[in-house]
Amino acid sequence: MTGAAADQAPAPDHVLSSSERTTARGGSATGPLLKVEDVVKHFDIRGGLLGVTKLGAVRAVDGVSFTVNEGETLGLVGESGCGKTTLGKVILRLIPETSGEVEFEGRQLFHLNAKEMKAARRDIQVVFQDPYSSLNPRMSVGEIVGEGLFVHGMTNKKEREAAVRDLLKKVGLNQQHIHRYPHEFSGGQRQRIGIARALALRPKFIVCDEPVSALDVSIQSQVLNLMGDLQDEFQLTYLFIAHNLAVVKHLSSRVGVMYLGKLVELSDADELYESPRHPYTKALLSAIPIPDPTVRRERIVLKGDLPSPANPPSGCRFHTRCPMAQEICTVEEPPLRDVGGGHLSACHFAEDVSPLREVAAS
Amino acid sequence: MTAANFGTGPLLEIKGLKTHFFTQDGTVKAVDDVSFQIAHGQTMGVVGESGCGKSITSLSVMRLIDRPGRIVDGQILLNGVNLLTKSEDDMRDVRGDQMSMIFQEPMTSLNPVFTCGDQISEAVQQHSSMGRREAWDRAVEMLRLVGIPDAKRRATEHPHELSGGMRQRVMIAMALSTDPDLLIADEPTTALDVTIQAQILELMRSLREKNRMAIMLITHDLGVVAEMADEVVVMYAGKIVERGDVKTIFGAPHHPYTQGLLRSIPRLDARVDRLQVIKGTVPSPLNLPTGCLFKRRCPQRMRICDVAPPVRDLGHDHVSRCWLTPAGEAPEVGAETKGPEAEEAAEALTVAAR
Repeated sequence: MTGAAADQAPAPDHVLSSSERTTARGGSATGPLLKVEDVVKHFDIRGGLLGVTKLGAVRAVDGVSFTVNEGETLGLVGESGCGKTTLGKVILRLIPETSGEVEFEGRQLFHLNAKEMKAARRDIQVVFQDPYSSLNPRMSVGEIVGEGLFVHGMTNKKEREAAVRDLLKKVGLNQQHIHRYPHEFSGGQRQRIGIARALALRPKFIVCDEPVSALDVSIQSQVLNLMGDLQDEFQLTYLFIAHNLAVVKHLSSRVGVMYLGKLVELSDADELYESPRHPYTKALLSAIPIPDPTVRRERIVLKGDLPSPANPPSGCRFHTRCPMAQEICTVEEPPLRDVGGGHLSACHFAEDVSPLREVAAS
Repeated sequence: MTAANFGTGPLLEIKGLKTHFFTQDGTVKAVDDVSFQIAHGQTMGVVGESGCGKSITSLSVMRLIDRPGRIVDGQILLNGVNLLTKSEDDMRDVRGDQMSMIFQEPMTSLNPVFTCGDQISEAVQQHSSMGRREAWDRAVEMLRLVGIPDAKRRATEHPHELSGGMRQRVMIAMALSTDPDLLIADEPTTALDVTIQAQILELMRSLREKNRMAIMLITHDLGVVAEMADEVVVMYAGKIVERGDVKTIFGAPHHPYTQGLLRSIPRLDARVDRLQVIKGTVPSPLNLPTGCLFKRRCPQRMRICDVAPPVRDLGHDHVSRCWLTPAGEAPEVGAETKGPEAEEAAEALTVAAR
C-alpha cells in the first residue's frame, strides 16, 4: 500500500521514501525546539460558605517533562481526562501553570512579559479540535485568517488580503471564498480555515489539539495529508495531541502516552507500537479494533473506570487497573526511565511487558 | 422475544424504504430505496459518513421520524409484520419489547431527573406484568449484567453521577432489560474512550451469544464493524452502495467508495507516507448528481456513470451499485454508452432486491 499511496501523491518536488521521511520528521540533526520541564497544572476545588476555601485540587497535569526537536512531530495520546489538552494549553500559556518551565528556542516562556509573549506567539500557534466553536461566526474567513497578520503589524488591507488569499490556496480552499462566513463551510473546510489561521504568521511550532477528531473518515485523510505537506513545505514542528492512536502514529515520529496527568511512556513511534514498555500503552493498543475481520489481536480489557484526578491512587497511578500490578506498585511511584535506546517508560516492570500477540480470527 | 420465533424467515426485513424530509429548501431524500434483511442472532453493520442516511434508517425502523420527515414508501417487516401500518399505540408496545435502541449520546438520552434504576424499571413495567419491586430488582440485575460495580447503589443514582462509560452501560441495560429480538445500536461507542469501548463491545458480544439477539450496528468506525459484524451494508447519500459478508467487504470490496473508505483510514499495522484520499466532499442532499451519486468523487468515473448504475449481483450474497464489472472493468455495454441504451442495460444487470 505504501507504493500505491506514494504513486497517488501529486508529485512533490522532493519525494522521500517512508523511512527517509521518518528521519526528516525525526529532526535528529538539530536540537530541541521546545523543552517542557516538570510542568504541573492543578485546578483548585473550592467550596465552603464563600466558595473560597480550598477543598482540594484536580491534578490535571502532574509533573510532565519532554522535549520536541525541530522539524519533528511529537504525538501525545491518552484517554479523556489524562491531561493532554491541559498540557497543550499550559505550553501555549492560554492558562497559567502551577509550576514548571517551558523553554522555546532557549527562552523561558513563563517568564516573558506581555510584550515579549506577544512576539513569541508569532512562532507558536494552535489548531483546535472543534472546527465549529473555534471560529468566530461573525467574522469572515478573510478576517479570521488575517487577524493575526493585522495584530502583528500588517495593517495594509490590500497586502493582508493578498496574504490571506495565498494562505487559502495553500490549505486547499477556494480563494473566492474569502468573504464568506464559517457557517457556509463544511467541517473539513472549517478545519482548513483553522489551519490557515495558524499558518498565517509563519510559525515554527504548532500545537494541534485533536485536529481531525470531529471529521469524517474521508475528510480526515485529506486534512492529515495537508498537515504533512505543510510540515514539509514550512519546516513546521508539531505537538500533535489526539486520542486516536492510529492517527497519531501516522503523523508522529515520536509518541508520548499520558495517564492521569503523568507521562507514562515516550518512544519512537514505530517502536512504541511494536513493543510497548508500559502495560497501559499495551492495553490501549490492544483495545483498538483493527479494520480487518481476518485479524484478531490479543485484547486486554481494563477493569473499571479512570480514577478521579482529584484523588489519584498511591504509588503507580495505573496500579488499580493494571493486570501486572504487584505490591510495590501500590506504594512506590515508578520514575520515567530509559529502558533502552531512549525508550522511556514509567513502570517497575517495563522489561517484563510482552508485545501484543496476534490471534487468528475464527 | 422467545425461541418460538426462531427459524423461518428473517427477523427484520426492510423493503424499498424511502424516508424523505420536506424542508423549506426542497426535498431531502435522506433514505432512498433501501432494502436489507437481518436474521435472528445476526449482526448487521451499517457504515457510512455523516449524512449518508444510516441513522435515519434506524430511526425509521423505530418509527421515530418527526416532521418535516416522513416515511414515504416501503415496508419494514419485523417477524413478518409490517411496522409501518401499525398505530402509534401498537408501535409503543413493539419498541422496547421486540426491539430496542441505544443512542450515541448517553447524557442526552437519559432523563436527568430520574434515577437509573427508575428509568430501567419503568421500561420493564411498561412491557411486562411485573410489579414495582420486581421491576426494580430486574433493573439492578441488568445493571450488574452490564458490568456496573455496586449495582444496588448505582441504581439509586442519577445519570450525572456516573461517568460516560457507565451511562452508556445504563442505556444498554435499559435497552436489554426487556430481552429484545433486535438491538439497534447507533454509534454506541463513538463518544467513549477506546478502553471503555472495548468493554462495551465485549458486553454486546456476550449478550448476543447468550440471548441470540440480532444487532443492527450503525457506525462510521470500520474497525468496530470488522470486529463485530457478520454482514455489512455501506451507505452513501441515502442509498446502499454495497452489501456483503464482512470478510468480502473488507477483503474484496467492489464499489470504489468502499475501496476509498478502507484505504483512507490510518492503520496501526502499516506506515504509509501519504494516506489515500477520497477527493471532494459528500454532495449536498438538495443537489444530488444525476446517475451515480458517487461519480463526482470517483477515481474510475466513466461516461456511463451519468446513468444510474445497476445493483450487481457479485455472487455469495455480495451486491454493489456500480457499473464496473465484478472484475472491476468497464461494463459489458461499454464505458461510453448513454441514454436509453444504458438505462436498459442497468435494468438488465440489476438483481432483484433480496
